[in-house]
Amino acid sequence: MTNSHEVPTPINVKYFSKGAIVLSFLTLIGLCGYIYRLIVGLDASTNLNNQFPWGIWIAIDVASGVALAAGGFTTALLADVFHKDKYHSLTRPALLTAMLGYTFVVVGLLADLGRYYNVWHPMIPSMWQGNSVLFEVGLCVMIYLNVLYCEFLPILIEKFMGHVNLPGILSRYNSLVESLLRISNRTLYRVLSLFIIAGVVLSCLHQSSLGTLMVIAPYKMHPLWYTPILPLLFLLSAISVGFPMVIFESILSAWSFKLKPETKTLASIAKYTPFLLFCYLSIKLGDLAIRNAFGYLTEINIQSVAFVLEIGIGVILPMVLLFQKSKRHSIKYLFISACCIIFGILVNRINVFLIAYTPPFSNDFYFPSLIEVIVTVGLISGLILIYRFMVIHLPVISVQRVKFNIVTDTPKSKATIKG
Amino acid sequence: MRQFIRYFFCVLMVPLLVSMVFGTAYAQNHNSDLECKRCHSCDNPTEDSPCIHVCPTKASKHFTSEHLLSEAPDTIVLDHIMKQFEPVRFDHKSHAKMSQMNSSCKTCHHYSPKDRIPPCHECHGAEDNPNNLRQPSLKGAYHRQCMSCHREWSHDTKCVVCHLSCEEDAGFVSEADSTDIVGISHPVIAVPTVKIYHTPYKPGPVVTFYHDEHVDLFGFECVDCHIDENCGYCHDLSHPDNLVKTEEEKHAMCINCHQINNCGHCHDHKRKPAFTHASTGFPLNRYHNQLECRSCHPTRKKIGKLDSHCNSCHGGWNQQNFRHSITGLMLDENHIEWDCVDCHPGNAYDKPDCSGCHDDDISMENGLPGEYIIRQ
Amino acid sequence: MNKDRRKFLKMATATVAAATILPSVSEASLEHCEEDFDNAFGVLVDTTVCIGCRNCELACDRQNELTDHPKSYFMDNTVFDSRRRPSVESYTVVNSSFDSSSTDNKSFGKIQCMHCNHPACVSACIVGALTKCKHGVVSYDAWKCIGCRYCMVACPFQIPAYEYKEALKPRVMKCTFCYDLIHNDKKPACVESCPVEALTFGKRGDLIKHAHVKIEAAPNNYYDHVFGENEIGGTSWMYLANKDFINYDLPKLEEEKIPSLTESIQHGIFKSFLPPLALYGFLGLVMHSIRQDKKKEEENDEQS
Repeated sequence: MTNSHEVPTPINVKYFSKGAIVLSFLTLIGLCGYIYRLIVGLDASTNLNNQFPWGIWIAIDVASGVALAAGGFTTALLADVFHKDKYHSLTRPALLTAMLGYTFVVVGLLADLGRYYNVWHPMIPSMWQGNSVLFEVGLCVMIYLNVLYCEFLPILIEKFMGHVNLPGILSRYNSLVESLLRISNRTLYRVLSLFIIAGVVLSCLHQSSLGTLMVIAPYKMHPLWYTPILPLLFLLSAISVGFPMVIFESILSAWSFKLKPETKTLASIAKYTPFLLFCYLSIKLGDLAIRNAFGYLTEINIQSVAFVLEIGIGVILPMVLLFQKSKRHSIKYLFISACCIIFGILVNRINVFLIAYTPPFSNDFYFPSLIEVIVTVGLISGLILIYRFMVIHLPVISVQRVKFNIVTDTPKSKATIKG
Repeated sequence: MRQFIRYFFCVLMVPLLVSMVFGTAYAQNHNSDLECKRCHSCDNPTEDSPCIHVCPTKASKHFTSEHLLSEAPDTIVLDHIMKQFEPVRFDHKSHAKMSQMNSSCKTCHHYSPKDRIPPCHECHGAEDNPNNLRQPSLKGAYHRQCMSCHREWSHDTKCVVCHLSCEEDAGFVSEADSTDIVGISHPVIAVPTVKIYHTPYKPGPVVTFYHDEHVDLFGFECVDCHIDENCGYCHDLSHPDNLVKTEEEKHAMCINCHQINNCGHCHDHKRKPAFTHASTGFPLNRYHNQLECRSCHPTRKKIGKLDSHCNSCHGGWNQQNFRHSITGLMLDENHIEWDCVDCHPGNAYDKPDCSGCHDDDISMENGLPGEYIIRQ
Repeated sequence: MNKDRRKFLKMATATVAAATILPSVSEASLEHCEEDFDNAFGVLVDTTVCIGCRNCELACDRQNELTDHPKSYFMDNTVFDSRRRPSVESYTVVNSSFDSSSTDNKSFGKIQCMHCNHPACVSACIVGALTKCKHGVVSYDAWKCIGCRYCMVACPFQIPAYEYKEALKPRVMKCTFCYDLIHNDKKPACVESCPVEALTFGKRGDLIKHAHVKIEAAPNNYYDHVFGENEIGGTSWMYLANKDFINYDLPKLEEEKIPSLTESIQHGIFKSFLPPLALYGFLGLVMHSIRQDKKKEEENDEQS
């Protein structure tokens, strides 16, 4: 095992690459859109209406955001709970993605909330509403976000411990802060496993409850998606997308930071995915068969096309690819299948929250407005930028020290990805 | 044993007899299949306190007896529940008349006992009755009666069609002139003049119906032909859907008067000309022209053929009471003494043939038995 | 796999099993503010009587101070050419029936919040801003609301509207059942204003009886069904009609209460917090046992 040689390190690259500049630009536009929404309100900035109260900010920013941040808890489950130590190198990037993902879910949610300044209300016991699925999702996401921050804290401490150097007059507290960091590090290390398990439990709860959200609208949901087992499907799909998400970002950051992708580890972690996908697919199709809903696929409309897209490209194709060992060990196919799965989950969440939502009496229909799109794009770009910033400055990505210098040679690594 | 039979008799027969006597008394007033509760509100009605329902219940709702149109009041001022609007002056007479084309009084009066028709507010209170959700309050009762028909043909539910607002700044100008009730609620009906139907009847596809003749000339009342008619048939001419009738319904309107076996009377290949009396073989002279049809054809619906001999109408005329000058010819002294038949033998009252008296070659002063006072 | 580990796993499975069975025995404390629905207030809408005069819309507008439209605005009958939905400007709208192509069978129906017995919106609301309590009224507290609009997603009648135009204090807008009026023994504004009394206000139980008497008295006039009597567990507003209720924008609904499924899923997962705790314990045991195994293996390795 090469594990012992792999240590998470800050990556020494220039922050503003070409891509980062484009992303900053997009983030800036998104930020403007965000501020515009806060000033003028929802009517001027979105295409939401009385019949379609939820748009892409809920479907993509929140629902897909939560699903795609599932890498954090699945990797933690595998590496920390089941002690598959070889995947330890993947936990920190996954954790960072999850943390940032959930942070941006909350930021995106704030844009969508009509009274965003009341977002703290669900925490007040007098306003607790135990029947509400959304209350459970909200509370779980909030607690989980804090758990994620706690899990991430050791990385920050690791960065600063040992060389605290406060500027100017504060420098006299250097030793105090140092000892504080040491104490918290020691405590955190002891209770970290409690947090990790809590993270897994909380994730299971809200990932599934996100599906329960739409179970309350049986008369408005298209039968291709409306099923009482939506929570199970959501949980399964979130677990399935966890590893592909890790693979996806690992390959992307390798490409971006000109590192050698950890093909072996990725191929190894990818072997769980087709089985999970198969479970998901068989339950989903079995449910369709039990509910006698296959007939709706023969109608040609946006729903049937979206469903075929979701299942065909998002589930069946990557499942078939990843069942083959040779394809799993090829970075190209790994990346393609991961993209497919992520696309499938994204489409699935959009389908459940938007495409399947067909209220019978409505003159209006919903298509996202420009502001909605730029805010969503801006949020995603912002997330990538912060991820890049953190990876550059904090010990997140594990790099084989020995090979570090070699890999920074640009052309070789590019070839590795393509091959 | 005998005692027992007597006792038995008393116990059994007395109640039986009693019930028989009362039963016949009951049967005089009641049909046997009538339930007590239908009319009586209490369990044991007596003669002193019969506790009869004042107002229609579910069962007695259509308890109506016929009343005469002549009893109907002209105008009724509805002012029991004034709030936002002025009292409504309801043109009762014309509605009563129109109701004759339908179910007569009971179109609106769903409860009208024999002796009188109670006004709406007698049963329907100003406030609704919480114990009887079925019974609308007076406001609901009025509006349901009026609007159930009005909205059908007027396609308008504006309050101002019937109401004048009390409020000064009502936000709209009332279209109504308060004195002209018909003007408010009844747009002038466009009475058709001529209707031409194109029917599938091959031998004579075109039917020409002169509506104005039937009304103006023949003096028919609407109800003579329009039986079981809905309001829209006359009031809603803008929506021809309402005018569609089945073949039977169409024929039914005519065959009350016209014989069904004479198709050619109505059906033709082209539009029929308007009615002229000459077409009956009896052209009207200027005197007859001035007459109402009804003065010669007095029967209500049927206008029958009359005997065209003058005597059939003017049988009472003789030399004494007929002023010949009315024909335009004033008889001279020589002729005025003659009897009518002397010059007009055989009831032929055309220009007489003078040769019966006068020889051909006899020359008269002006060749006339008198003098024309009006040039013919 | 050694014995210890197996034992742990067995124990863990038993804990999970117990945790899933136990909650169904103990009753959860989270319950609706239960109501005697027969004595709650309700309104029976008789669409066969409604004449489409829109006086109810006017009265609602004035009572709730929604707009400053002049009276004439509510006398415009061209609105019946399109199908309207309740909005922030009107808690209730009158539509002509769906199939009224010919003028003969034109009839009208008013739609507004149905004030369900088991409202989906109340169950959905994250902060309890929507409540169903006194008189059967589903009322809204804007102060609590965070503006997530989940109530709008949940409502099967598509009633709640949202003040999207408000930048800072948008509210969910829907019929209030004129709570202040009915609390003071008056009728809701729309009922009071109806000239033909197509709307009957009363106790829900009485209204249901009344509706059935009406149908029985005139079976040819009515479709033999009281909409809202049993739909989704019953609603405070109920309808009579002479044709399918879908013509009046009332959806086809089953008798099952809408929130029952989501709430049973919710309470199943969360009863006494046992299932999450069980999962937590199970994962903890797994983590612990595997860690012990690994340590032992390492020790063995070192020894060998």
